[in-house]
Amino acid sequence: MSADQALETAPPAAPVKVRFGGSLGTGLMLVAVWAALIVATTLHRPDFFTAQTLLAVAFTMSIVGVLAIGQGIIGMSGGFIDLSQPAGLITASLVAVRLSEAGLPFPVVILGAILTGMVWGGFNALIIVFARLNPVIVTLATNFIGLAALYLVFQQAQVPLGSDIYSFGRATWLGLPAIFWPMLALVLIVGYLVPRTRYGRRMIAVGGNRAAAKARGISLKVTRFATFIVAGGFVGFAAVLFAGTAGPFNPSSASPIQLNIIAGVILAGISLSGGRGNFWMLLLSVGFLSTIPTSLVFFGLSSDTQSIFQGIILIIAVSIDGYRALRRTP
Amino acid sequence: MTDTAAPSGQAYVVPHHPVRDFLTGSVASIGITFILVLAVGLFWAGPKFLSFGNISIIGTFLIVPLIVGAFAGFALLSGVVDLSIGSMVGFSSALFALLLSLGWDPWSATAVTLVLCLAFGAINATAIVGFGAEPIAATLGMLVALRGITWVLLGPQGNIFAFNIDLFNLVSTTVFGLPLFFLLAIALTLLATLVVTRTRLGRHVQAVGGDDKAAARAGISVRRVRVAALLLSAFGAGIGGIIFAGQLGSAARATGVGLEFQIYAALMIGGYSILRGGVGNPVGGALGLLAVAGVSNILDLQAISPYYVNIIVGLLLLAAVLLDRLRGGDAFE
Repeated sequence: MSADQALETAPPAAPVKVRFGGSLGTGLMLVAVWAALIVATTLHRPDFFTAQTLLAVAFTMSIVGVLAIGQGIIGMSGGFIDLSQPAGLITASLVAVRLSEAGLPFPVVILGAILTGMVWGGFNALIIVFARLNPVIVTLATNFIGLAALYLVFQQAQVPLGSDIYSFGRATWLGLPAIFWPMLALVLIVGYLVPRTRYGRRMIAVGGNRAAAKARGISLKVTRFATFIVAGGFVGFAAVLFAGTAGPFNPSSASPIQLNIIAGVILAGISLSGGRGNFWMLLLSVGFLSTIPTSLVFFGLSSDTQSIFQGIILIIAVSIDGYRALRRTP
Repeated sequence: MTDTAAPSGQAYVVPHHPVRDFLTGSVASIGITFILVLAVGLFWAGPKFLSFGNISIIGTFLIVPLIVGAFAGFALLSGVVDLSIGSMVGFSSALFALLLSLGWDPWSATAVTLVLCLAFGAINATAIVGFGAEPIAATLGMLVALRGITWVLLGPQGNIFAFNIDLFNLVSTTVFGLPLFFLLAIALTLLATLVVTRTRLGRHVQAVGGDDKAAARAGISVRRVRVAALLLSAFGAGIGGIIFAGQLGSAARATGVGLEFQIYAALMIGGYSILRGGVGNPVGGALGLLAVAGVSNILDLQAISPYYVNIIVGLLLLAAVLLDRLRGGDAFE
């Protein structure tokens, strides 16, 4: 307990400053590139700057944003990457579909999906902690197994037309898609809580330096379980947004989102090797990435070119991330 | 603190026990797995499992994975993973098919395709070795970028028909009832094994992957070895794509999609690791690919849903990394 207090009451001043400076720099850079993209597209086609575009961008941001919170928690706590998010998302979506088909009220549907996501995360953590295997390989394998098992269970599913979840997926509120607001709230809340609460700081401590965190009495096993279960909860909630908005989906429907999420997390400056990052930056990085598809359409480029830009941006982002790390550790 | 010091201490005296070393090594465990797959196949599917016709079907299917895997193994050994190989295969087959359809002769098309693949490999190397980017994330970016380039090359139709009768005949030549290119791929695997275990280059690659700081202190250029390994990996994927285009007589949007995960799952089952270099060797990797192909063939012969293959591959993968850890690999936390 005293070790705990030492950790939480006396955070060394220097790292906080560095982290603030780091995320400020990342934020400014993201705002700059995002603004450049918007200005360039608007100059080319003035009709880009409309409510319609805002609607499309906010819509794309929602699901990716919620999943990116989960991915960010895994990365920041030193779990590197959760490659099994697609399988978890589809499993939870299927649960949401089945529950709403059974005519259960909307809160039960949401709860069911979130619990499914948490169970999925806990299942991953179980293998990682007890077999002591690296999360990247474990989640690669569980994604393989999960998607294949899902194909054995169903080929295609869709929430019943006219159900609560269906209308939620299509509703707008204050001029933006209804699904955008929970995402915004979650990013703001998580970004506020992580550096300011005991659990959030423990998570950062484990991600930053395992040995030091352990020496201060933080259980690595408990942290690993907690982070995977909480991240799974976000996957479960994302499944509600996904099931509500997607038309008929099949087990592989979520796989293409995976890369956007990882790119968003890295661009936001959340280190995949752990211990660094600011969740609020996700709004900028995911917003920027979600503007690209619409922007390309206005430039008259085919949607195929979208992947080229996303890939190049990811390579540049990780190169900058790597270069910074190289300079920090001489 | 809770380090398993005793077993790893023993591992260093292994040169005195070559037989035990072999029996507890990665090649032995994948060898046993492979033999088990053969046995299950024989008992369950009967003699037709080992008929020349059936082996030839598996072999044809395995030509590209074996070649791509043999080259990608060098990157894994040197401690960097190249996830872009699947997309690189797709890109290479699309570009090659496009050049053929524009009337180029196969040799110059091959040369241009391979040069461009090497150029993309060089971008990977610049990001990873030059800027210190995380290999998994950087090559994931390349995977997506190349996928987009492939789709643009293929145009709105999404495929290019480029059938070349000479090339098709060459790729489908059989020797003793087995596809010539399958035998060549096996020969390439054996050659790669010789390079890894018997040459200075191979020892350097293993040293860099095992402990890059120690390797650097021993005077090995870590950067040069990793750049070479990433270029080799891109080159192998380029060759794989060209053979794919030759086999199919066309290139399509789906060509090579997900191939990287299939290949790396099989390579890890065969004893490689995508997280630490210096472990595994090409024979083990090839046996991994053969074992997975064997499993999928058995299910195919028994008309069982192909989705079970992925479940089995996933479980085998977990078992393989667990074995690797018990053998002295890095434990997570």
